[in-house]
Amino acid sequence: MLKIQDLHVEVDGKPILKGINLDIEAGQVHAIMGPNGSGKSTLAYVLAGREGYEVTKGSVLYQGQDLMDMTPEMRAAEGVFLGFQYPVAIPGVSNIYFLKAALNAIRKHRGEDPLDAIDFMKLSKKKAALVQLPDELTKRSVNDGFSGGEKKRNEIYQMAMLEPSLAVLDETDSGLDIDALKVVAQGVNGLRGPDRAMLVITHYQRLLDYIVPDVVHVLINGQIVRTGDKNLAKRLEKEGYSEVRGATQL
Amino acid sequence: MTEANRQTLLASVPDSFDTGPDWLRTLRTRAAETLRQQGLPSKRTEAWRFTPVRSLVDSEFARNDEEGPSLVSAVPAGVTARGLTEVLQSQPELLQGRLDFGGAPTHFAALNTAMFRDGLWIDVPAGTIVEAPIEISHVGPSSSEPGVAYPRVLVTAGEGAELTLIETYAGGGAGQLSNSLVEAELGRNAKMSHVRVHESAGLQIGRVDVRQDADSAYRSTVITLGGALLRFDVRCLLQGKGAECQLDGAYLTDGNDHVDHHTLVEHEAPECRSAQTYRGIVSGKSTAVFDGIVIVHRDAQKTEAHQENRNLLLSDTATVHTKPHLEIDADDVICSHGATVGALDQDQLFYLRARGVPEEFALAMLTYAFVESIVDRVSHEPTRARMREALLSRIPYGDEIREVT
Repeated sequence: MLKIQDLHVEVDGKPILKGINLDIEAGQVHAIMGPNGSGKSTLAYVLAGREGYEVTKGSVLYQGQDLMDMTPEMRAAEGVFLGFQYPVAIPGVSNIYFLKAALNAIRKHRGEDPLDAIDFMKLSKKKAALVQLPDELTKRSVNDGFSGGEKKRNEIYQMAMLEPSLAVLDETDSGLDIDALKVVAQGVNGLRGPDRAMLVITHYQRLLDYIVPDVVHVLINGQIVRTGDKNLAKRLEKEGYSEVRGATQL
Repeated sequence: MTEANRQTLLASVPDSFDTGPDWLRTLRTRAAETLRQQGLPSKRTEAWRFTPVRSLVDSEFARNDEEGPSLVSAVPAGVTARGLTEVLQSQPELLQGRLDFGGAPTHFAALNTAMFRDGLWIDVPAGTIVEAPIEISHVGPSSSEPGVAYPRVLVTAGEGAELTLIETYAGGGAGQLSNSLVEAELGRNAKMSHVRVHESAGLQIGRVDVRQDADSAYRSTVITLGGALLRFDVRCLLQGKGAECQLDGAYLTDGNDHVDHHTLVEHEAPECRSAQTYRGIVSGKSTAVFDGIVIVHRDAQKTEAHQENRNLLLSDTATVHTKPHLEIDADDVICSHGATVGALDQDQLFYLRARGVPEEFALAMLTYAFVESIVDRVSHEPTRARMREALLSRIPYGDEIREVT
């Protein structure tokens, strides 16, 4: 599904990612853990195609295609989804209207007919229920006046609407209390499937109690220093990043 | 029309006026004298610094036969709509003291007073509440010959009266000039919602003067869809305690458009509120000007006044001049003003694209949202829908946006 080889990325001339290798198969959930400033969000943004991130070396293949060659909207159309750490508010653009534009652009790319208003609303109601997002919020301006928890639920609602093949979830747990975290995790787990891969980026192990990963990577200073199963996350929680970092230097 | 009938605007002003009631002849004579002494404005006139009127002042125009405005909606029950000429002939006393109430006019307003032949008087008597909008339209001739018209409108709303007025300026060949003056007088507790759409291809100089008694409310929404040369002034005199005005505007410019919006709110009485929100999308090689003044007089304590102008600059070759300012002589007031000129928010754009919305479509969505917020504040739903439609017709991907909204 996703094959990252020796990826080096700079922001404003400063190296952030320094040789990432990652191989995610369809059906797998990978977690990337790391302290602040390790390059986690950079990896998420590079995969989604944000401007200002320069790939200086390496490659990213998504379903056999060069992902770095595609515009952000093309990546979305091909099935890549980024759940933002800080979803931006867009006053005046209704959540549901922009999502309809997005979904129909993606359907068009797949050679499918656009959904009409009625089918779209039906789908929206179903998906909003998955993350207990009130109907009223789906109609409001994108993230405008949403609480932290509502913003994150809105991200997962949108993911459920767009049904991506590869979902990159950037610190989906940040700013959530335990109840909201459970709801969001439940929404994410509902979307796990044999054709879908997920890359879950988080600072804390807590999220991984609810979204149990197949593989855990530790990202420190722009490099993946450890890879293991879900128990690696538990060890990190107990021993802290410095211990893991120390261990790799031995 | 032949070229022989063309004159410069100033040369067309008569030396003396021999028709109409005495008081009107006095107004016209005074206006003509002001024009003879001061002339029409130039770049050296502060309030006209950014408005390129030189070509207007130097050009010769023929006087159009049709002046407008025409009433294009039914006249709601309880409202009277009469031609100014007819009233001036049969009951001139009804209009005495109501024309030029804002004081001796200058420049283009003086020109209108000296020159207008007919016009419209809309009267909503005390206690009459009208829900259906009253709609008037000014459609200039499509002739490419230079022509000029002086539309004039007077609106009077008695105590507790409520109305919605929609004005449309449309049509007009490139050489056609309309120099309009609308005056509105709001009695105690009267409410007026005034929607004005500029979509004329011609040259437009327009002014709205409003005077407001205690607890009255005036709400203006101006939509300007381009314009080779457009200068619009709205002035509110808050003369009674507790009066309020809300002046909103949205302008879209492109190509070589020049549009110029000026507001003036005079807080003369205490406890009045005013809010101004103008937003513009400025593209191509166009120029947009916003000049807003709030004057708080010494006795206008407990005034609340806000002023905001935001511009989206969509090209490197477009220009925005924005100058919101406050002159405050009272000490117990809440006032704010601000202006921004900027590009679209890149975080918002990326968010939409990352979800799959193509870049150009996403740009159009954000652009539309920026000005739609102005239209959103129009309370009459069918009017709001029409305003949206007017915006969509001018914005790229308008059809696609309509499809999803």
